[in-house]
Amino acid sequence: MSEPTMRSPLHSFGLEEQAKPIDGSCGVWANEIPHLGYISLRGNGTDPAFVTAASTSLGVSLPLRPCTFASSNGITILWLSPDEWMIVCPRAQLSALLGSLRHALTDVRSQVVDNSGGYTQVIIEGPNALDVLQHVSVYDFAGLEPGRVVGTTFGKSSVYAFRQGEGYRVVIRRSFADYIWRYLVRAAVPYGLGIADLAGSRVTEEGVPA
Amino acid sequence: MFVLFCPHCGEKREEEEFGYGGEAFIPRPATPEALDDEAWGDYLFMRKNPKGWHWEMWSHNTGCRKFFVVKRNTATNAIAGSWTLAEGRKAYDAEGGST
Amino acid sequence: MSSYRVRRPGARVDFDKPLTFSFDGQAYDGFAGDTLASALLANGTRMLARSFKYGRPRGIIGTGPEEPNALMQIETGAHTIPNLKATQVELYDGLVARRTTGWPTLEFDLKSLGGLFSRFMPAGFYYKTFQNQKLWPKFEHIIRQAAGYGSAPSEPDPETYDHSHRHAQVVIVGGGASGLLAALLAGRAGLKVVLLDEQNECGGWLLSSPHSVIGGEQASAWLKSAVGELQSLPNVQVLTRTSAFALHDMNLVLAVEQLQDHLPIADRAAHQPRQRLHRIRAERVVLATGAIERPLVFGNNDVPGIMTASALTTYLNRYGVAVGKRILLQTSNDHVYQGAADLARAGCEVVLADTRTRINPAWEKRVRAAGVDVRTGFGIAYARGRRAVTGAQLVKLDAQRNVVVGSGPSIDCDALGSSGGLSPTVHLYCHDGGRPHWDEERLAFVVPEAGRAKSGIYGVGAVTGEFGLQNALEQTERITRELLSSLGKSAPTSSGNLKTDEPDATPARRIFRVPDGRAEGHGKKAFVDFQNDVSAADIHLAVRENYRSIEHIKRYTALGFGTDQGKLSNVNGFAIAADVLGKSIPEVGTTTYRPAYSPVTFGTLAGAHAGDTFEPRRYSPMQAAHVARGAEFEPVGQWLRPWYFPQTGEDLHAAVRRECLAARRGVGIMDASTLGKIDLRGKDVREFLNRVYANAWTQLAPGKCRYGLMLDENGMVMDDGVTACVADNHFLMTTTTGGAARVMTWLEKWHQTEWPDLDVYMTSVTDHWATAAVVGPKSRQVLAKICSDIDLSPSAFKFMDWREGTVAGVPARVFRISFSGELAFEVNVDANYGHHVWEALMDGGREFDITPYGTETMHVLRAEKGFIIVGQDTDGSMTPLDLDMAWAVGMKKPFSFIGKRSFARSDTAGPNRKQLVGLLTDDPQIVLAEGAQVIERADVTPPAAMLGHVTSSYYSPELGRSIALAVVRDGIARRSEDGHKSGRDLLYAYAGGKAHKVTVVSPVFVDPKGDRQNV
Repeated sequence: MSEPTMRSPLHSFGLEEQAKPIDGSCGVWANEIPHLGYISLRGNGTDPAFVTAASTSLGVSLPLRPCTFASSNGITILWLSPDEWMIVCPRAQLSALLGSLRHALTDVRSQVVDNSGGYTQVIIEGPNALDVLQHVSVYDFAGLEPGRVVGTTFGKSSVYAFRQGEGYRVVIRRSFADYIWRYLVRAAVPYGLGIADLAGSRVTEEGVPA
Repeated sequence: MFVLFCPHCGEKREEEEFGYGGEAFIPRPATPEALDDEAWGDYLFMRKNPKGWHWEMWSHNTGCRKFFVVKRNTATNAIAGSWTLAEGRKAYDAEGGST
Repeated sequence: MSSYRVRRPGARVDFDKPLTFSFDGQAYDGFAGDTLASALLANGTRMLARSFKYGRPRGIIGTGPEEPNALMQIETGAHTIPNLKATQVELYDGLVARRTTGWPTLEFDLKSLGGLFSRFMPAGFYYKTFQNQKLWPKFEHIIRQAAGYGSAPSEPDPETYDHSHRHAQVVIVGGGASGLLAALLAGRAGLKVVLLDEQNECGGWLLSSPHSVIGGEQASAWLKSAVGELQSLPNVQVLTRTSAFALHDMNLVLAVEQLQDHLPIADRAAHQPRQRLHRIRAERVVLATGAIERPLVFGNNDVPGIMTASALTTYLNRYGVAVGKRILLQTSNDHVYQGAADLARAGCEVVLADTRTRINPAWEKRVRAAGVDVRTGFGIAYARGRRAVTGAQLVKLDAQRNVVVGSGPSIDCDALGSSGGLSPTVHLYCHDGGRPHWDEERLAFVVPEAGRAKSGIYGVGAVTGEFGLQNALEQTERITRELLSSLGKSAPTSSGNLKTDEPDATPARRIFRVPDGRAEGHGKKAFVDFQNDVSAADIHLAVRENYRSIEHIKRYTALGFGTDQGKLSNVNGFAIAADVLGKSIPEVGTTTYRPAYSPVTFGTLAGAHAGDTFEPRRYSPMQAAHVARGAEFEPVGQWLRPWYFPQTGEDLHAAVRRECLAARRGVGIMDASTLGKIDLRGKDVREFLNRVYANAWTQLAPGKCRYGLMLDENGMVMDDGVTACVADNHFLMTTTTGGAARVMTWLEKWHQTEWPDLDVYMTSVTDHWATAAVVGPKSRQVLAKICSDIDLSPSAFKFMDWREGTVAGVPARVFRISFSGELAFEVNVDANYGHHVWEALMDGGREFDITPYGTETMHVLRAEKGFIIVGQDTDGSMTPLDLDMAWAVGMKKPFSFIGKRSFARSDTAGPNRKQLVGLLTDDPQIVLAEGAQVIERADVTPPAAMLGHVTSSYYSPELGRSIALAVVRDGIARRSEDGHKSGRDLLYAYAGGKAHKVTVVSPVFVDPKGDRQNV
């Protein structure tokens, strides 16, 4: 029996082989940041017991303002609703985080779900990144400030999108990844799409720079 | 193709992000078995369907996935406001529980 | 250069860039900057179309989207586009155009014979003539040949399209003088501004009158500096060749940008879309859409060479084309005078016949100085000429009333322009529910200047009825300042000198139909709507036949239909109708202006929703494994699932037979990842499940699973699936593949709106888990090869149990559940490992000849067991009792679960319910069509009482015969339990013209006791 190997949702596009360092040759740069850990966290954002327990066990304060996110120690917490957050973490930290969250929230009205198989992340950068986002989504991305995350449309599907550094990140559901990637590629045709080499760039292996 | 303010996300968003949730404030009878067929039928099927102001629910499908209350004019698509379910109930009652 | 070309200073064609193009197979030349229309006119082309109904010769009338006649088929093959207006087609080298009307030829149009008998083709001709429906198809073919316009391309569109969603503070529609000034003021105030103009460059009417004066400089110079400044402002975006075609709720402007159509096909950039749809959400919208001159209605006013007067001016000043040598202008107002002077100075012989007796002295002086022959108080009774205008007969009009009081001269001409006034382009204002106002002084439907300022919509310039340039600019400045202050901004104190050299205006004459001294319908045909061949007499006839509402008159006569949507004809039509009805124009009102302002291609509306991005295609984590094994796929909702796995030489039936037998007798494997999965947790989770499911969940222990039926409040089955107890307060629900999102929203809605106090949270984990169902008598042996930490023995791991363990080295949840009736294990792992685990199961199963199977085999296996598919065997009108599934309903639960109360409704509880049964055909080889009607007797003479229909039908390889599921009225009581045919259990299934005898039986065809899944 072969060793267990993970296949990311965009595995079949062979993005790794096409990746090159970001330069001025393309208007848009994109790539998948595969194999991150995703934890769905539900709980009442106005319940101090929940917020304190979750924040303490994560080591990051749960963002409570609508449509914001917090990053620290390689962990990013996206506010999704008044009672829902998505925690994005390096795969290596996943089971420890799940364990400590579940432990901390044992007696608190809440839900902690490993959703790591269900999502992946795509980075969209470059001088025409905004143009591409205007093609694919109804959201006013020109007005999206750093530190904010929105759930919005992407073609006929939906994503969670946020700005990180110069670029944008979209968190997408696995089964829609093929469609979303094709849609992105199509939208980027007028500007030229490069597959960004993330290993050599400022993006860390776990995809979430400190 | 209008714009709705999501009271949970705190932003105006395009209609494409939302799903219609039907007329608001049709509570489920507490004891369905106590209702006769006509009263149960009213709960199941009878809706106001006005031309004009309408209290209705929308769900922010691509965003927070929360149902909330909108007062919308069905003839003009003018929107008087949007509220969380609880706040919307208060606003609705303050208007006398009608249009 | 052709003799119609005039090297006008300020013309926007580049005489140094000659181009060649073809029209109807003949080569012509033109210049860069020409439209197809201007180039054809420069070549002396007059007739280029035949009219819709009468086959009358037609030529170019306008210069833009108002053009009713010059509809062209542009290019050939895959690039061909039908029905573009020659006035909007920018000329490029090598352009290929063809006429779209004239059958069999332009020179001889069959319909023109009908034209000789045109009194037999009045308004409502088709309604009146083809009342006999049986005859219609015969005529339709001929009529379509004769009446049709262009041809749709027969090849796939090689071009691409996209959408862009934008948000702006101010969107200005129209880049004429007013729009430019508004953009300058808003841009200087620092607002995010988008200016849209449908033409290839901004300027609007200034391009047609470049020698007007604004603030002491020529309009062309003012225009150049305005455009230059706008381009320098980073917060202003100017989009030319961009037509705003709709204004929707809350200031959503839809505009289509032409990115490639003006370029030769070979020069078009492959990476650029042909057109882009901009969807711009604006805080403020400024409509600076201008106005379109409407022609006067007079006899034979459709002869080629007769145009709007402004078109003659535009062709001269903007394109350097003098359409004729001897020009007759007919007007009711001042607007034509500048053009008359320009035409005379360009060397044309110009007669200007003004219907007014009192005309503007300042203008009169100017045009006479240019050599124009001015005749006052004259109207055109009718024009002369057939394929080209040769002259017109004038008549003397009463000074006040629109009646003929005397004869007039006959004037020879080779071009004729008329003006009945300007019709503001109010369309966008009205798309969003606005109504234009009739301004009796300006004789126009106008947009009020404050528009709907409360909603952020403003009008400036000619669209508001400010037809004079200076007035328009001053108004624009005032209104834009109001707009800016509504956004908390202010404009610099002065916009500069906006003085022009126009004389003060003299009132226009209120005239639409020029009288010819004869009763309507007895003189020469006078056209109101050229594209639809609607004459003034047709409107009279419609009123005589008692049509009163203008919306009805429109539909009866076809006034304002077609690709021009009545831009030239509507106001004339409304006014004539008002006259006949004896009403005022505002009483008659307008027809409804709907999007799109001008035609938009389907490609543009579709944008990127085409090809492989037409709809989301969802794939399971094992997709690559299925592709590698040559699976055929079928769509299931948005998912693409393996349908069957054909081996060499196999068709669907052969493959399904092999797959079915493998699952029943050996081992099969199916990808079940697409099933919806919802993780539910909280101390009230059991109570929540009790409320949303028909059956009871209070007792289900951790490690156990249960099948559940989910009902809607009407008591009808809406979804089903197996739900597992993970821990006392933690469950994992599965839903149907197609119902996953609906169920998730349904559960959230109930929780949020009705039961927020229940301590339960739910999260979709559909995409997290990859699921491989290992199915068949040998499935345990296969799983045992790659799973060592779960005791798989029948006593330790029972049917409807689930266990946590490790499969192929990956943490897994294994469910012993079955959708086939066989021993089966559903292995769930993190989807990132789905492919790995699938391949490991295939490896482990090799010695057992493990057989992957798809949805078709899954359907056969479940139908053999009588397992329903919600949405196939149910249709929203089936209760659990109709399905004979009372065992899945917990009537004793204390809470009145969703749907329960409806069981007692008279209809639900009453007799004559359609119920699920099995059907066996007498001939075991006949597989009934799904949807076949179930009837009582073989005789199908109508009316045959229909008892129900076949919902699922397959050939069962296990049984070696066909099987079917059906819903049949009182079906459960009809079932033959022991196979004897009592009469009541004999029915017929009718499909494809044949009635097949069937026996009504239990829907469980295979292993009725359910022993196999318990081994």
